[in-house]
Amino acid sequence: MKKLNLLALLLFVAGLVAVFTFDTATTRQIQARVLSLLSPFIHSSAAMEQAASTALAPQVNVTELKRDYDEQRIQLERLRIIQQKFNQSNEENATLRQLIGFKQSAPFKMTAAKVIRRSSSTWWNSLIIDKGSMDGIGTDSPVITSVGLVGKTSTLAPHMAKVILLTDETCRVSAVVEGTKEQGILMGERAALEVRPELHLRFMNRNVNINAGAGVYSTGEGGVFPADLLLGRVKRFENREISGEAIIEPAVDFSTLDYVFVIEMQVAAPAPEPPSSANAKP
Amino acid sequence: MLFHPISIILLLLTFMVQEFIPGLEIAQFATLFLPVVFFFSASVAAPFGMMLILAFITGFIWDARYLPGVNEVLTGAEDVFGTGADLELGAGSRSLPFGLSIVLFGMLGTLMQGIRPLFKRGRLELPVLMVGVATFVWLLAQYLIITFLRGSLQFPGGVWSKMITDTLLAMLAAPLIFLLLYSLARVSSYEIKYEGLRYRFDGR
Repeated sequence: MKKLNLLALLLFVAGLVAVFTFDTATTRQIQARVLSLLSPFIHSSAAMEQAASTALAPQVNVTELKRDYDEQRIQLERLRIIQQKFNQSNEENATLRQLIGFKQSAPFKMTAAKVIRRSSSTWWNSLIIDKGSMDGIGTDSPVITSVGLVGKTSTLAPHMAKVILLTDETCRVSAVVEGTKEQGILMGERAALEVRPELHLRFMNRNVNINAGAGVYSTGEGGVFPADLLLGRVKRFENREISGEAIIEPAVDFSTLDYVFVIEMQVAAPAPEPPSSANAKP
Repeated sequence: MLFHPISIILLLLTFMVQEFIPGLEIAQFATLFLPVVFFFSASVAAPFGMMLILAFITGFIWDARYLPGVNEVLTGAEDVFGTGADLELGAGSRSLPFGLSIVLFGMLGTLMQGIRPLFKRGRLELPVLMVGVATFVWLLAQYLIITFLRGSLQFPGGVWSKMITDTLLAMLAAPLIFLLLYSLARVSSYEIKYEGLRYRFDGR
């Protein structure tokens, strides 16, 4: 081997060793920097895709649009009234909880985000949303829609984030089957990159009676995903060698996602002291 | 010597163009991996040292852009086995290590160096086939390493359809990349040196 080639090989190996010794924080920083650098191109490609689909979509009728708009306004008014009632109930609930010294569950805030595009990579199921670290989003934050859980955030750029979908093998959720106490870990199948692949609820007890169509919800025990998020519905149950496994159809249709919500779990406030009898009103 | 810096610039450009290439829903979101195809094609044209530089850049940016976020190292996943935060945070579902693509590209690039004489003579058949082979081996190696890290060997049908479609798309794009490299070599009067012999590359 020529001296120059040998030198190049040595430098290559040295660079490789340096890369392999990066810690998690450095790797995340590099990933965020690269995503941030490429974000103008990701935005442009999404805009082009949208323009193309708009151009190919059938022309909309203005009268129809007007009718839809009016209906939406009525719906909005109705929802505002419901929200007012909900807020009143919430306040009343909080007061009552305070009175009995109930331990407050961790509150969370939701950030609405637009799905920019589905990522086409080698073996990962992910998509990109238009909110990032500068919008108050953190890594491993749950991403939901009104239907159920979508996945969790991964790499973050200032105004962009990668979301690992629930269908990816690396996204695991502690889950329970509706109407039972049967718990397991819900995960996707390896390299299942179809639009709506099946999920697997593993590590369950064997020979349990689970009805097809039963809902599967997050337990919240892992601390990453809040409890009671709909994950999917049971298709069938299979007995494996040492445990049972339910095949689940995801609740969310990942091919039609437009808007999602990123949940930021907040640190629970310390439970207030229950009112002492001396301070209680007669 | 304009060929090498322009190759690096073109490689960086392919990462930008990659963002505009959609995936095929019917084939498990298979797509054309343009930076990868460009690297395999360029590694036929470039000398060994330059090939290693291109492999490093391609692997580094590829992992930075496409690997899922790296999880914190967690312990005790097996103790909680079912309901712990460890599992939800990704313990037990290890992803590929950051930097692995650099190794794979370095090895496959070295393999591609073996067909440099054909490229020099302007023969495209074998180089195009080799780009396909290298793309397939790269995808298969990634999949096998994921399988090794996570256990349970499984090959669903979709894996093969994705790998084959990705490979075919790479082979479709490869001739265009080779022609681009030929033109670049002609414009920059790039000469290929191989096994001590000196040839003047004139694009034929």
